[in-house]
Amino acid sequence: MTAQFSYPSDREESSAAQVRALEALLIEKGVITSGTVDKVLSYFESEMTPLNGRKIVARAWVDPDFARRLVADTPAAVAELDLPEGMAGAEGEHLAAVMNEPGIHNLVICSLCSCFPWPVLGLPPYWYKNPVFRARAAREPRAVLHELGVSLGPDTEIRVWDSSGHSRWFVVPERPAGTEGMSEEELAQLVTTEAMIGVALATSPAES
Amino acid sequence: MAKTRLHPTCVTDLEAPTFDEDWQRRAFGLAVALAEFGHYRWDDFQQALIAAIGSWQDAPCNTRGRWEYYEHWVTALNNVVRQHGLLEDGYINPEDASA
Repeated sequence: MTAQFSYPSDREESSAAQVRALEALLIEKGVITSGTVDKVLSYFESEMTPLNGRKIVARAWVDPDFARRLVADTPAAVAELDLPEGMAGAEGEHLAAVMNEPGIHNLVICSLCSCFPWPVLGLPPYWYKNPVFRARAAREPRAVLHELGVSLGPDTEIRVWDSSGHSRWFVVPERPAGTEGMSEEELAQLVTTEAMIGVALATSPAES
Repeated sequence: MAKTRLHPTCVTDLEAPTFDEDWQRRAFGLAVALAEFGHYRWDDFQQALIAAIGSWQDAPCNTRGRWEYYEHWVTALNNVVRQHGLLEDGYINPEDASA
């Protein structure tokens, strides 16, 4: 076995120890209290979830005026809905929605640091943070989408949005056919995290 | 590199946990908490994270070790805490300063 394949076996433990030590020091110095991190995590895990994004998309599907406002000024439109408030670090103020339409498919990546629109999508799936995904989605989005099961015709333009700047993009997928009679709540069930990243389409009612 | 395909589980792992290990979750919560309570701006952490990931990407493949996103997160967290002097004597907690 070459050196290329030998990693320190204690890497996990070393990272864990660093995090434990840092949190303990910050508590000891009075920068945070022993409950601070748990409080923040529990808020995140209960309130900052893809459920918020689903509600936003479903509203945009049933209300074209809302959809227009959502694209023009995303934070203001999101504030119209009764969703949990974002946090200072949660990047809610930089939210920006892009709309799929016939002939245009949007895909969101973050090529530098894997930042993500947490307030509407929660925490990213692990592959979103993978360097191969990030590099290939930027370079050959059509091929990557095809591998992920989204085959777009040559006439469909793919727009790739890189969140590394100040905007945290999310995609409003197209409303599937056959959903005319559905309520907003039912529609929200058709919206997945993947669809809001742009690596999938909204689920059609026949599949769900 | 161009031949590296995405793993098939990419679109079927909705139920997979976001964090593999508890230390990753703690590191995430710490970084967010410190920004939330005004010890640094989220942008500062983000820049530190971009720098940490950048040095991994620029390092030769045979010296840089397996990809582990949250290791870069921890590096960034340590750096931003040091740059802002959070652990130094005389550090003024912004929550006290604004009170």
